[in-house]
Order: sequence, then C-alpha cells, then structure tokens
Amino acid sequence: MKFAVHGFVVMAVALVLIGATSLVGNDYYLRIAFMMCVYYLCAAGMNVLVGYAGQKSLGQAGLFAAGAYAVALLTTRTEISPWIALLSAMVVSGAFGILIALPSLRVRGPYLAMVTLAFGIVVEKLVAEWTDVFGGAQGIYGIRPLTWRGEPLSSVQWVWLGIVLCALTHLLLRNLLNGRFGRALLSLQADEIASASVGVRVYRAKVIAFVVAAVTCGLAGALVAQQNQYINSDFITFQLSIFILLLVLFGGPGSKYGPIAGAVILTVVDALLARWPSVQHFLYGFLLLFALYFMPGGVMGLISSWFGRRQREQLEPMAAKDPPKVRGDGGGELLTVRGVTKAYGGVKPAQDVSFQLQRGHIHALIGPNGAGKSTMINMLTGVTIPSAGSILFAGVEITGLPVHSICRMGMGRTFQNLRLFADLSVLDNVMLGRHTRMRNGFLASLLGLPSAKRQENVTQECAMQLLGLVDLSPVAFQPAGRLPYGLQRRVELARALATEPQLLLLDEPAAGLNPQETAALGQLLVRISASGVTILMVEHHMDLVMSISDHVIVLDYGVKIAEGKPADVQVNPRVVEAYLGVDEPVSVLPTPAASPG
Amino acid sequence: MAQALLQAIISGLAVGGAYALVALGFSITFTTTRTLNFSHGEFVSAGAFIGLSVLFLVIGAPLTSTTFGDANPGTAGQLMALVAALGIMGLLGWLLYWIGVRPFAGRPGMAWVMSTLGFGVILQSIGLAIWGPKPVVVPAPVGDSVIRLFGIGVRPQELLILGVAVVVMVAFDRVMNRTMVGKAMRAVAADANVASLMGINTNAVMIGAFVISSALAGLSGFLLAPIAQASLFMGLAVGLKGFSGAMIGGLSNPRGCVVGGFALGILESLVNLWQAQWREVAVFVLVILVLAFRPTGLFGRRLAEKV
Repeated sequence: MKFAVHGFVVMAVALVLIGATSLVGNDYYLRIAFMMCVYYLCAAGMNVLVGYAGQKSLGQAGLFAAGAYAVALLTTRTEISPWIALLSAMVVSGAFGILIALPSLRVRGPYLAMVTLAFGIVVEKLVAEWTDVFGGAQGIYGIRPLTWRGEPLSSVQWVWLGIVLCALTHLLLRNLLNGRFGRALLSLQADEIASASVGVRVYRAKVIAFVVAAVTCGLAGALVAQQNQYINSDFITFQLSIFILLLVLFGGPGSKYGPIAGAVILTVVDALLARWPSVQHFLYGFLLLFALYFMPGGVMGLISSWFGRRQREQLEPMAAKDPPKVRGDGGGELLTVRGVTKAYGGVKPAQDVSFQLQRGHIHALIGPNGAGKSTMINMLTGVTIPSAGSILFAGVEITGLPVHSICRMGMGRTFQNLRLFADLSVLDNVMLGRHTRMRNGFLASLLGLPSAKRQENVTQECAMQLLGLVDLSPVAFQPAGRLPYGLQRRVELARALATEPQLLLLDEPAAGLNPQETAALGQLLVRISASGVTILMVEHHMDLVMSISDHVIVLDYGVKIAEGKPADVQVNPRVVEAYLGVDEPVSVLPTPAASPG
Repeated sequence: MAQALLQAIISGLAVGGAYALVALGFSITFTTTRTLNFSHGEFVSAGAFIGLSVLFLVIGAPLTSTTFGDANPGTAGQLMALVAALGIMGLLGWLLYWIGVRPFAGRPGMAWVMSTLGFGVILQSIGLAIWGPKPVVVPAPVGDSVIRLFGIGVRPQELLILGVAVVVMVAFDRVMNRTMVGKAMRAVAADANVASLMGINTNAVMIGAFVISSALAGLSGFLLAPIAQASLFMGLAVGLKGFSGAMIGGLSNPRGCVVGGFALGILESLVNLWQAQWREVAVFVLVILVLAFRPTGLFGRRLAEKV
C-alpha cells in the first residue's frame, strides 16, 4: 500500500519535472538538468555501496569510463542499435564491478579502498595511453546518440530520458533497500562476523553492492558519451571519483534522498564555479572535510535533525508465545565432535576434544578461564577452522563450511562480547536473524514483487513474537546499541532464535546479570529447550549450569577433563582440581622447569 | 639487449627508491595509528613544489614562476630547499594529524579515509592556484650530465635517489630496533593502550609518525622532481605505487615495505621496456595476485580478530 502511494508520488514528481523542463528553452540550463540526472544515477548506486554496505570506493571514475567507452566502441565500430549499446554498457560496467569486488574477498577496510583507488587510476592511465583503442586525449568521435523514431534525441528529450531513468532507479533501489537486502547491507557495515553468523552471505552482499554502484555509474557514463557524441580521456579523472564520493557524503550516506540532495546542490555549485577550476577543486576538498566534521549525516541528516525524528508507526506488541517448534524433532545425536584440535603456534585451545550433543537437551560447556570454551563455540559455528578433527551437525560434516551456511543449516549463536548491529533498531536486529529463512531473492526484492512484501511482513511478525518472548516489545524501535547491557543480551538471544536454530550456542548468556535476571534467563532457556531447540551454553554461573543443564562438559587448557550429569561432574576430582587447585605435599610438586608455561 | 635490461634495472632501482620512501611512510602511520594518509601522493607533489619554490627564491625569481630558464641554484640552494621541504612537510604532517586523523581515528566507518583525501585535495588546489597544472623542469642538484657506466648511461640524480633512499632506510631501521624512541614506536604499534599505561606518550608518538611519514613523502617528491619534472599530478601515481609496494611487502613490516617498493620500481621499469601502457596494469595485477595469496603481504604478519 505504502509502496504504491510512493510510486505514484514519484511518477507525479517526474511528470511535473518533465513538464517544467519542456518550458526551458536555454540549452545551458538543460545541460545542467541533464548533468543532475547523470550525477544522481552515479550517486544513487554509490549510496548503496558507501551508505549501506559501508565500503569506500575511490575509483568510480573507472566504472564511469567502462560505461562511456563501451558505448563509444560499440556504436563506432559496430552497427548495433544505440539503445542496445547503452544496455550492453551497463552489462560491461557491471562486469567491472565484479572485478573490483573480487579483492574484497581477501582484504577489507583501507586496503580495499586503496585497491578501488588504484583501479580508477589504472583505467585513467589506460584510456589516456592506449591510444590505438581509446584514442587518448584525442578521444573517440562519432558516437551514435540514442534515437527516438529515427531522430537523435534533442536536448530536452535527453533531460526527459534522464528524469525517467532517475525515477526508475530511485524506485528500484528503494524496493531493494527497504527490506531484506538493505538490512543485510547495513548489518555487514556494522559487523561482518555477526552478519555472517546470522546467515548473511557477506561476500555476495558486497559484490551485489559493488555491482549496483558499477551499473548505475556505467549507465551515467554511457549517457554522457552518447549525449556528447564524443568521449576522451579528460573526462576520466581522479577528481570525478572524488566528486561521485562527495555526492553521497554531502547528500547524506545511507539516506534514500541523500543522493538527490547531493546531485542537485553539487551540480549547481559545479556549474557556477566551472570558470575557476582551482576554486572548484578547493571546495570539494573542503566539503569532504567539512561534511565529516559538521554534518556526518550529510544534508539529509541535517534536515532530519532540524525537523526532529518522524514518529514511527507503532506496532502492536505481540503476545509472548512459545518459540516455534523445531523441525526434525525427536531424540538422537544432533552434533558430534570428534578429535577436534586447534593450535595457534604453541597455544592449543583444543586438543583432541570429542563430545556429542543430544537433541532437545540443554548442554553446558564449563571450565576455567582460558580453557578453550569460546574457541570451541567459534569452531562449531565456522568462525574458526579447527586444525584437525571433524564436526558432524545433523549428520553432515561442517568443518570448513562458511559461517553463513552453518547458520542456514540451523545453528544460531550469541557472542561473549556482544555483537549487535548497534545503529539498527532492535526489531531490525531480530529481523536480520531471519535473513536465511526469507525466500525473496535479489530480483523479487528489486522489483518489489508481492512475494517479497509478504516475506517481509511474515518476518516482521515473527520478530515481534520473539521480542515478546524475551520481553522487549516496548523497545522494538530503539537503536539496539542504546539499550542497557542486560537488554542487549536478550536482543542477541532473540536474534539467534530468529535464525530458527536446531542448535543454539550461547556464549556466557548470564554474564553481567544479577541473580534475579539469571534465574529468569534460566526459565526462558528451559522454555526454549522445551520447544525442541538443543542448547549448548558456555557459562560461569554454576547455579544456573547445575540447575538447568542435562549434561555438562568440562574443558581445561583445551582438554576435555570430564562430562556427565551435573551432579556427577560437580564431585569429579579432576574438575575440582581444575577449578580450585589441590593441596599437595611439597615433595610431589613438579620442578619449575617441567611445569607448563 | 643486456644493456637495455641493465639500464632498465638501474632506473627501476632509482624510482623504486622513491617508492620505497613512500611505502615506508605508509607503514609508519599504519603501524602506529592504524590509519593511512590517503593523500600521501599529494604530499609527494607538495614536497617537490616546496623544494622548487625555495629554489626559485634562491635564484631571485618570484615564488610563482614556472620555469628556471638557465639559472642554476647551486648546491647551497639545493640544500636549503631540501631542509625547507623536509621541515614544511613535517609541519603539514602534524597539521594533517590534528585536522584529518585525530578526530576520526579508531572510530567506525573509516571517516579518516575521506578526511585525509579531502586534505590532499585542498593542498593540490592551493598548488594549482599558485603554479597551474603545467609541469616544471627542475635542475638536478648533482648536475644533468649523464655518467657512462659499463656502456649504459646513468643520470647522477638516479644514483643520488638510490643512495639517499638506502641511507634513510638503514638509519630508520637502526632507530627502530636499537633506540628507546624506536622501542616506544614499536610499543605503540603493538598496542597503544598498553603503551600509554607504560608511560609512553602515545599521542606524541602518533604525531611523530605522521611528521616522519610526511617528511619522507616530501623527500621522495623533492628527489624525483629533477628526473620526472615537478607536477602537481605526479604524486598520485607515486603515492599509489608506494602503497602497492607496501602492500606487496606487507604494511606491518617496514623492511618488507622497502623491499616491495624497490621490487615494484624494477618491475615497472621492465614492463616499460616492453609496452608502456601496460605499466600500471602490470603493477595492479601484481598487487591483486599478492593480495589473493597473501592478504597481509609477502612479509606481513597475520592479524587475527578475537571473537
């Protein structure tokens, strides 16, 4: 419903703009309007990459060039229709987008930013120096423009085409960003490890973001080349890359209207200062710095802070229901760990550890600090890969599988040091948990198909139910990072439950809770377990461990020293020794040289 | 053929020396502050132009001239220019730290990438306003006559760059490994919090890192100017190749960075013998390959994140 209304508004605005531009007779103003559209296209895609996925691309000029030169070569050297050339240019630049996303598999942060910068420079040098193909500073003449009924587009028609493309891009990206994909991109910006652990395919999401930015930028380049009917190496400069980045940063990264604000304001400024290139240049540098200091949210951030936060619609708090029943209910072994070993040089947080988890039971993993408990959880979830041994989950070998696949198979987890997506709302955090259970693919989301909206509604309902279960409905719309510590722990629990796990791994769920809260947590865990979820928790609160677990595993220095029923483990002499140490006669103390460091 | 190869290797070593200085600069700020100066290339250009404006003043020309004509500033003038370039670049590094790095370092979102980039753009635009975009031919401090060695021609400036680069790097290595200042820097690199608990003034160390790194960038610009002509756009490529060298060698390892810088200079020079337009592509491909197989560089250490 909301989407439909928004679609009509966008169409109406586009029609008004088309009407208004048809009254403008001045070619110079039409040119500015056309460049606004071109820069909006660049910025809209770049916003997905910078504002949502949080990746810094400093080489967009290279992608602009990919689109522009693709269309130039296709229309001057072949006979194909200019419209098909335009579409092909988008495909070509999309392919380049994949190319620059490849390094993101191995490197991140500043390295990746530098790689994108290098990409831009390499393309700039290539089009300037490989004159046989790209014509260098001479450029390529005679690019065939788009035609309408056999006639090349007029200046005003170019603007109309630009407006239509901008409106389409806006609507498509809005569909994409308002649901599953937008959330996934924001989550990987916040914390890649947590993102993977709720089932987001981090690398794939990054590639999608790079490709979206590349395609829109390539489209922009192709439009410029076809409108000018000429392209040369002077178009492709590092300054263009900076300008495209600035469009997003100045307009408001992560805001759907930021690119519009950025494109409109900066294109006008650019045109006004065109006579003084060094002033123009200075201003961009200054704005880059200034925007970071005084308006980190860009123009849109300023506007929304002036007008205050819009009231978000309030959702009905859902009655606290029991968590959903789990698939594959019944007894038997859910997880089998066999001879798992992990060594960091001489430090061995796991040495030949084997144990089994029974379906529907609550298991506890205990041991003194440094016993290798968190390492074990990380190995089970795929964050850390064991040096040796095998882990079977529901009969499938999972060692070496990526984190998101293991999550998808039904393993949910919380972290010892909370890893929530702090800037996202509590509800979004929990909805992210259901990422792998949503069935809408990239295309369905992009086109805003009804199936995608249904999935979104179902997910929201599930998330609200889970928030009811952990008693957090009233804070559903607050940013997760602003909640007190104890509540944040519960958000993480709800997020892990939203992945619909068969096995729930809890890394110190009661850390920092007072005795009442710990007791309440215990009751909650029993309820969760009763719905068929198997639980493995690492915990130091012995009263909690002893009162609710069915089975306890004890680690010490990476070695399993005991396991069994809580009461048995409690009296096991090796466990007592590990926790308390034993008084031994001086004569049997090992010599200092033999004691482990 | 052998002569051409030898010639290429010698000039590759010289340019590689400049890259190594830049790479070392990247490594210094990255290890101590976990940030990089994304306008390091502009700092290279700035070093060249500060040097040549002093040279202009020495020969009595106005600061804003764009040609030396036949005038030669002499050795004393060149030394003054060098000192000025190092000093002013050091100051710029200090300024960059306070404006562009300190407010954003350690915070999520890598805003420092944009702030350092913006600082460089400002610097470049000031340069453009004064000298314009045209390159300037700069007289070399050691003369422009070509020395003939084993049948190949070597420009004395190339040998000078090589010599200076090696001396600077050996000195840096000794300071880092043998002195208390070096120990403090390495301590901050390992863990700034613990270092400050041990009474090390981490802020001073970080400022020092930026000052040294910027001075090194200035030095390489100053030395390259007589070979490549001084241009406000010369720095971008030099900075990028310095960074590539640092990535190949491993950002966390200063010695590795130096090796990477030299290797890159030679590679580039050899590819240049064959096909000039593939120079940049070859460098880029090499970096991608290294990152694909050893993301932390050939000599870098792996950093594991604790979960």
